[in-house]
Amino acid sequence: MGRIAFAMLLALLGSPAYAVARYVKLPAGTFISALAAPNGGPQRVHVAAFWMRVEPATNGEFLAFVRAHPRWQRGRVLPLFAGPHYLAAWRGPLTLGREVRADGPVTQVSWFAARAFCAGEGARLPTWDEWEYAAAADATRRDARRDPARNAAILAAIQASTGSYPGAIGRHRADVYGVRDLNRLLWEWTDDYAAMFPSADSRNPGTGPSLALCGGSALAFFDRTQYALIMRVAALAALRPSEAAPRVGFRCVRNDGE
Amino acid sequence: MKHHSVAAAALTLLFATATAAAGPGSLSAYSASGKSGQALPVIKETLVAPPDVPAAIHRDYPARVVVQLETKEVVKKIASGLNYDFWTFNGTVPGPLIRVREGDTVELHLRNDPSSHMTHNIDLHAVMGPGGGAAATMTPPGQESVFAFKAMRAGIYVYHCATPPVPMHIANGMYGMILVEPPQGLPPVAHEYYVMQGDFYTTTGYKYTGYTTGAHPTPLLAFDLQKMLKEQPTYVLFNGQEGSLIGDHALHAKVGDTVRLFVGDGGPNLTSSFHIIGQIFDDVQVEGGTLVNHNVQTTLIPPGGAVTVELKTLVPGTFLLVDHAITRAFMKGALGQLVVSGEPQPELYHKVSSGPAPADKAGAF
Amino acid sequence: MKRRIDLVFGFFLVASLWANISAAAAALPDDSIYRIPALRLVDQDGKAFEFASLSGRPRLVGMFYGSCRMACPVEIESVKRIQAAVRAAGGRPIAAILVSFDPAHDTVPMLRMAAAEHHLRGSEFELARPQQGDYRALGAVLGIAWRPLPGGGFEHNTVIALLDAQGRIVATTDGRGKVPTEFVRAVLAREGMPLP
Repeated sequence: MGRIAFAMLLALLGSPAYAVARYVKLPAGTFISALAAPNGGPQRVHVAAFWMRVEPATNGEFLAFVRAHPRWQRGRVLPLFAGPHYLAAWRGPLTLGREVRADGPVTQVSWFAARAFCAGEGARLPTWDEWEYAAAADATRRDARRDPARNAAILAAIQASTGSYPGAIGRHRADVYGVRDLNRLLWEWTDDYAAMFPSADSRNPGTGPSLALCGGSALAFFDRTQYALIMRVAALAALRPSEAAPRVGFRCVRNDGE
Repeated sequence: MKHHSVAAAALTLLFATATAAAGPGSLSAYSASGKSGQALPVIKETLVAPPDVPAAIHRDYPARVVVQLETKEVVKKIASGLNYDFWTFNGTVPGPLIRVREGDTVELHLRNDPSSHMTHNIDLHAVMGPGGGAAATMTPPGQESVFAFKAMRAGIYVYHCATPPVPMHIANGMYGMILVEPPQGLPPVAHEYYVMQGDFYTTTGYKYTGYTTGAHPTPLLAFDLQKMLKEQPTYVLFNGQEGSLIGDHALHAKVGDTVRLFVGDGGPNLTSSFHIIGQIFDDVQVEGGTLVNHNVQTTLIPPGGAVTVELKTLVPGTFLLVDHAITRAFMKGALGQLVVSGEPQPELYHKVSSGPAPADKAGAF
Repeated sequence: MKRRIDLVFGFFLVASLWANISAAAAALPDDSIYRIPALRLVDQDGKAFEFASLSGRPRLVGMFYGSCRMACPVEIESVKRIQAAVRAAGGRPIAAILVSFDPAHDTVPMLRMAAAEHHLRGSEFELARPQQGDYRALGAVLGIAWRPLPGGGFEHNTVIALLDAQGRIVATTDGRGKVPTEFVRAVLAREGMPLP
């Protein structure tokens, strides 16, 4: 079914105006999320095999996308789907400008725009579970999250980039799956980010299953030492899907077998 | 203004709380006139950088005080030749002292600089309401949140960022203070200063260099999570920088002045044993409350707490502000200076002599 | 299986729907939620229609899933109470629609059962399932999000939105507790009705 739809898509779009992005396969697996289960305990998550973009979408790729899909150009996009900060660092709707490198990750894109881009290459945004599963890895291990040195290096890299535009993609070593730049470069949209439901004052401990959340509970962290991850969740959770932020970009994934 | 309403609507939608009858574009974040329906005179607060404080209030009526704070992530000096990536209110550690009068309604605008990595918010201990304002001010980069509260209890209070991970936001410098003056105001004094202690956790030890990058040619110290979890800071500082109150930046007074210090502790972890070497605090508002203690040598200031101390500077000289858990003063940076100028007061203090001990007594020890 | 359905919806989204916003939708204001990519729904009576075709009169809109035993029945009852309160205040009947975000389970027969259980009449209270299109985008513009829970079901929030005839959000409520008075007043105000 997916293949047919993909063929339809290609037929409609004509040949893509940009290079085909590289994806690598991540095997199915199970891990303990840093997000707590509704009862506050550990949440064991199973993730099916999927394909993930090696690198986040770049400014160059997004420029090609908006050329091909003018309704996503700055100034033309509906405010329903992208607010005033959308691609604000670009010099013009079809011009990157000096500080916005073509090989840098695209940021200041709304969740709607990110989804449209991914759909445009026959893909989708990852779920939070898929993103977190992938990002647990480092160059040698599938789950390196218990290594304080690794966590410290991520935190230091995030802090060291204060005030500067995200650097180019692909500068760091690929992880054990072959994926790059998951943790250090930017925050990435996930398809279901809005369902992480922080309470208005997130210091409140989760109070268990909540009627308002229909069986869920306010966001709580099971592993409270994953600071880079907590920062990421805090950064994403405060955004509406039409909003865009200078540090928020995305990468796409595909289901295995599509 | 429209964006505030949109942000407010977003928060209410995201956080699934009940909203009033309005949608994006018309939903207002707060009532402009307050519940009484009586419009208060609007005053825009003029903020100044620490250790200075806004001028004393000479009003005998309540006002709506508009305060503009901006969260900014800035790389700047933590110690000589060393930088740190501070997260701040208005670019300084601590953030500016906010000064209002009991009974005022404070309209707080929290803007988050567009270049920020982080979402930020604010919890003011002077607020009686959910999260001290944190629940109403979660603000992504480039946006602004507004909330209003009535300052109902006079006192000196800490404010801080309360975005997860909260300890890191505080450890990076996101705190400041708000002074709520009593209706009759505070007695006039010659000088008022504003000092906040904080503990900092860096991957390299005290005065050891960090690393440099193209963007940061001055060594940049990185935050060390493990040291923070162990509550073992590498720096303990007044006003976010070693030397912030020393030399050209020292606090000044003259002989015979009364000096009022608003001293707080941002933490995140250490309680300050605040002391000025060679001075006695005439008055200390214990824990910032209404209880006033007299003739105090060292006063405790817990993280998230503050005191007002007053002292009369009777003798000229340079007096050191310290955390009298004294390793922090001499090995971690918690040192400041109060320079008192004026004529010597030999009847109060003078040196009699020094030199070799008289020979006949030398063997006695 | 569900992922696959999502993905196919995604393809449709790009392949045709972003491209072909209907003429009717084009006349809608920029902030009308009827301007989301075309979303085809089927209601409890098996009637298929475009989401954007609901424009033209004010309406209550929310999302739910049928196997939810906690918030969703509360949401349905809350919508009914709002409708009753509007009627009681002399307002015109306000139509409501709740769209499922669990189309894999919420088939038309399931919707019909749920509607019968809650005594919903299709003309004034529709339960619908997405047939084709990007229903997560509908959730996003309404401020509704969901994640599947490991043990089944979904973690989600509840928003009931009052849309004006052009599809702009006038007011929202989370549908908990008593009749949301301010929300009902907003409905009546929309019709130029005297406020109770």
